[in-house]
Amino acid sequence: MIRVRRAFGLFAAAAVMSLIVAPAFAQRNAEHYAAGRAVYRKWCAPCHDPGITHPGTHALMTKYKGVKSGVLLEWTDLPAGTVKYMVRHGILLMPPFRKTEITDHELDALARFLSRNTPGGD
Amino acid sequence: MRVPPGVSESAFAATIAEFERIVGKDWVFTSDDDLNLYRDAYSPYLNEPEELIASAAVAPTTTEEVQAIVRVANRYKVPIYPISTGRNLGYGGAAPAYSGSVVVDLKRMNRILEVNEKLAYALVEPGVSYFDLYNYIQEHKLKVWIDCPDPGWGSPVGNSTDRGGGYTNANYRNHFDAHCGMEVVLPDGELLRTGMGAIPNAKTWQAYKTGCGPWVDGIFSQSNYGVVTKMGFWLMPQPEAYMRCTVRAPRFGDLSELVDTLSYLENARITTGFPDFSSPLLGYPPIGQVQLWNENGPPAMSDEHTKLLAGVDQGYSPELEAYGMKEGIPYWELWLSFYGPMEVIEASWRATQRHYGKIDGVQFRVVDRLNLPIDPKTVEKYHEPELGVPSLRVFSIGARTPWNPTPSHGHMWFSPIIPRTAEAIIEANRVFSAAARDLGMPLFKTFTLPACFWERSFVFILATPVTEDPATNKRYREGFKKLIEIGGQHGWGEYRTAPVFQKTVMDQYSYNNHALQRFHETLKDAIDPNGIMSPGRYAIWPKNLRGVQS
Repeated sequence: MIRVRRAFGLFAAAAVMSLIVAPAFAQRNAEHYAAGRAVYRKWCAPCHDPGITHPGTHALMTKYKGVKSGVLLEWTDLPAGTVKYMVRHGILLMPPFRKTEITDHELDALARFLSRNTPGGD
Repeated sequence: MRVPPGVSESAFAATIAEFERIVGKDWVFTSDDDLNLYRDAYSPYLNEPEELIASAAVAPTTTEEVQAIVRVANRYKVPIYPISTGRNLGYGGAAPAYSGSVVVDLKRMNRILEVNEKLAYALVEPGVSYFDLYNYIQEHKLKVWIDCPDPGWGSPVGNSTDRGGGYTNANYRNHFDAHCGMEVVLPDGELLRTGMGAIPNAKTWQAYKTGCGPWVDGIFSQSNYGVVTKMGFWLMPQPEAYMRCTVRAPRFGDLSELVDTLSYLENARITTGFPDFSSPLLGYPPIGQVQLWNENGPPAMSDEHTKLLAGVDQGYSPELEAYGMKEGIPYWELWLSFYGPMEVIEASWRATQRHYGKIDGVQFRVVDRLNLPIDPKTVEKYHEPELGVPSLRVFSIGARTPWNPTPSHGHMWFSPIIPRTAEAIIEANRVFSAAARDLGMPLFKTFTLPACFWERSFVFILATPVTEDPATNKRYREGFKKLIEIGGQHGWGEYRTAPVFQKTVMDQYSYNNHALQRFHETLKDAIDPNGIMSPGRYAIWPKNLRGVQS
């Protein structure tokens, strides 16, 4: 029953993974990511698009202090599993999202889209 | 499998099988992982035994499915708890008021049934969000505005039935008042339409509110008397222009004149937007600037100013006032906005200045003049809801920023209604600041200004943080309840609250030996004899749980 709401450890694990996994960036066309991009636009963009007017982005900018971008779209160490975990568990002020909002199928697409620049991501 | 209290495992298994037959297996949730998604992410009881937890969730797509679910719930005496978009963060989220209830998740009922541009109204289902309705209006190039609360992912149906507020004209800001016509599945599964909708083949369901005879819509808000499956809303015709102005007053004592004249100007509809009080001298922002302050930091303040603020008592010190007069920093700045044709706006603003001319040393400024519709690229410069645009920027409150290194895990809104007078602001600050200090509550630490959501009252909307530390959460929620009771002793009551505080809040509405509560219970017994519909919501318990739970 205990829901672990802190998952920064996952980010750290992702960073380590990026060092040991061969950089196999997936070269896919835009269509491949269209469904995931649409989920992002509807559910993530209001808080995570670029700029401090998006509170998720501002929080991540503050957290990483320039070490890495605060914009999820620019991350290169965001495994699909981390995306799925965050969407279903939330963190700090970000609540989890229900399956009536983002279905498992849509979450798969979103995770593929957000991990597209991450080695081994998609 | 979790099972609702008082329901046998076999009866619950049969209930779940029926729900699966109605909506399909994919849309009935019983695993712990899935049900965790229905917990209140901002619960002050997070991870504690008292946290409110669902036993299952079922997600229909049609009114007929809702009726079928309600009938099954009656057959097996299983408590259900409908939610719309299921957000309501700070007021309870998607979690049921009675642990073990089955959440009826209406998010998939997301059809926009009509937007009528000529008469400026909409008819929507509960799963439609403010974002959805806004996007639909934009895509269809309709010249109407929505009035939305700060978080745009909320539901017009859910927000208005929890009696939320917004930021445009007073005719639309009160979201329940701005509704017109409901469709409701009653606790026995019967289908009801209110107002003109009660006439078969009604022609004016969203155009005339009350129909004939008793107007029952109010009992379906903040209650547990049915599931609202459709609801109409009046929309504001898109204004031609917008102007934002401020009235600056130099002295503490000017607050009374500022408030009283505002009440006249707003209730005469001379000012037509959301009025917003601030104090540049006390460093207190208007609501419309809070997100900008969170994003960019508060305006710089001189050392002398900061030092003088430390000596303020109940918002006042003669030295601070003298400093403000010397430096040209007003004690109060009232933000006003106007919608309409620019020539009407300019005339309204002239009349506003004439009425405020009686304040010695008053200053006026025009902050913005805009022709509408606004260019979407520039809307970020504003508090979007005041321009009818939904957003999630409000989540900068409590979030990690350079000015807030310790982000919160959520918040519970402390939101008492007080009279719309300067005297009430001052008295409420005196009472609540002393109580909050004694209780160790992080509220009213400095002089606090209320919001003007409703045109004949004020409301404080104050975020009490939820933390990771159960001991702190315990102190805060007990202090929260105490503040509610202290408010009640002074004749003030909350306008809305989360289920965990609903009993404490409703206990304040106790005139004539709780006559209102008893009436709610009489209604409950009459229309929900099995007590299946949202038991405990707003402290209305069905007979079988009354006394046990309340």
